[in-house]
Amino acid sequence: MSEGGAFSRPGARFDRILGAVVWLAAGGIAAVLIWITGDTLQRGLSEVDIAFLTTEPTDAGRRGGIVSVVVSTLMILAVTLTAAVPLALGTAVFLADVSARWSAAAAVVRWSLDVLAAVPSIVFGLFGNALFCVVLGLGYSILSGGLTLACMVLPVMIRTAEQALRSVPAELRMNAAALGLRRTARLWHIEFPAAVPGMAAGLVLGIGRALAETAALIFTAGYATRMPTSVMDSGRALSVHVYELAMNVPMGDRRAAATATILMILVLCITSAASSLLHRRRIFRRSEA
Amino acid sequence: MQRVPCLIWMSAAVVLTAMTGCHQERTIAAAAGDAGSGTVRGELTITGSSTMAPLVAEIARRFMARHPAVRIDVQSGGSGKGIQDVRSGIADIGMSSRALQAVESDLEVFPVAVDGVALIVHRSNPVSELTPEQVVAIFTGKIRNWSAIGGPDQPISVVHKAEGRATLEVFLTHFQLRNPDVRPDVIVGDNEHAVRTVAGAPGAIGYVSIGTATADVQSGVPIRLLPLDGIPADCEAVAAGRFPMSRPLILVVRHDRRPLTDVFLRFCRSEQVDDIITAQYFVPAAR
Repeated sequence: MSEGGAFSRPGARFDRILGAVVWLAAGGIAAVLIWITGDTLQRGLSEVDIAFLTTEPTDAGRRGGIVSVVVSTLMILAVTLTAAVPLALGTAVFLADVSARWSAAAAVVRWSLDVLAAVPSIVFGLFGNALFCVVLGLGYSILSGGLTLACMVLPVMIRTAEQALRSVPAELRMNAAALGLRRTARLWHIEFPAAVPGMAAGLVLGIGRALAETAALIFTAGYATRMPTSVMDSGRALSVHVYELAMNVPMGDRRAAATATILMILVLCITSAASSLLHRRRIFRRSEA
Repeated sequence: MQRVPCLIWMSAAVVLTAMTGCHQERTIAAAAGDAGSGTVRGELTITGSSTMAPLVAEIARRFMARHPAVRIDVQSGGSGKGIQDVRSGIADIGMSSRALQAVESDLEVFPVAVDGVALIVHRSNPVSELTPEQVVAIFTGKIRNWSAIGGPDQPISVVHKAEGRATLEVFLTHFQLRNPDVRPDVIVGDNEHAVRTVAGAPGAIGYVSIGTATADVQSGVPIRLLPLDGIPADCEAVAAGRFPMSRPLILVVRHDRRPLTDVFLRFCRSEQVDDIITAQYFVPAAR
């Protein structure tokens, strides 16, 4: 086990090489992150000021700000979470808890989720466009976009929530059953609080995926940069704005970098807020119990 | 405590429903006004070419500023999607950055602008015109020195556009080149980048949107636009549709369209939007 003892063994060199490789891999990941963040911030931060955050885009995004785009993004995210979180929790409880007697049904649900998770986002976009925009008549709207994203983030949310529920120690469940707690009470008071950190991870992954999405939103939430007044309005998400400025607007590169900066900051704020909120609740509950 | 999440979702649902309700009322009001007095009101949905979307979105913004009771949503997605959406009635107007095919003759076409692409060289370069064969040879790396085509003894530096740029597609299509066959020395992003690169290298050749290049020439940037097939690369030739390396930016509509659509189409084809078209580096179509 000790370093000195390992020196004499024939595998010592191999150990050290392996150690170096592991360090290199970890360092490489950190370097890529720093490079991407640094490059975006360096090109974007100089364009960011109060006016950029408080005005609507003009001249195809080359001038003005992004306030309406930020508002649209937050509204899309709100719709996504409103639709996805209850569905994800319900399905996760079914898979982790209820489905013991319905293993065939659970297998079908799991298989569907795995397939859904593998579907490229552009396919979700075309599906969302066909279902929400055309068949259900919602048109290009924040509602269509949010619901499409909900379909997209469901697999990751459900799978992580299921894993979190499964990893709750069996003794907790048994104790609750021994005390005569009803099933719903057991879920609310024992299993959900214990599973919250795992579920928070799923929520954060889902939020991250939703905020990063471009392809699925171009065909559903759309492209309008006007300030949305309801979820039935079309609204451009930040990621779509970045894509648009970088690809279709001549000389939009600087504003694309600035928008990407805001998007990164937003993702960071929302995900850290979400996870810290959920973690605090868990601690509170523990002390309560 | 356990009721809190439940309450949050319920209130969210209530808010969503309320928002939806508001919107429907407004739509109905707009529709009612449409049939009424002479003021322009109503809603328009425009989808299609991602090249045109920024341009039409800006035109729509000005139109809405003049007619506050009108709401226009411009959506991107590609020329094919625009044409398809107009056919199926999802969109009132489609945007297309290619001419319609014969099977698409059920739609009416309104040219708004033209996107012309010209070859540019440094102003000091004495070569006055290149044949298509020479252009292909230069961009595929078969000719590497200006002396081979009657110029000074100077190596040619090929300035090429990055993948996905609209001008790249126009250029490749016109010269029937495949992108992997091109041997670029420099790859640039937007038009301004290409102009700056060529202006800084006397041996360089590139291609850019004619609107950008002529504006830069007027402001004294040392580049020169090469004529193509004997036709000078200027905005007049592009506007008239005579310049060979160009593509039309058109709006397509159905025959059974609403009056508001016609009002907007007239606006798009009027002098009132020339400055917007020029600002997006296109050339207004001949009227």
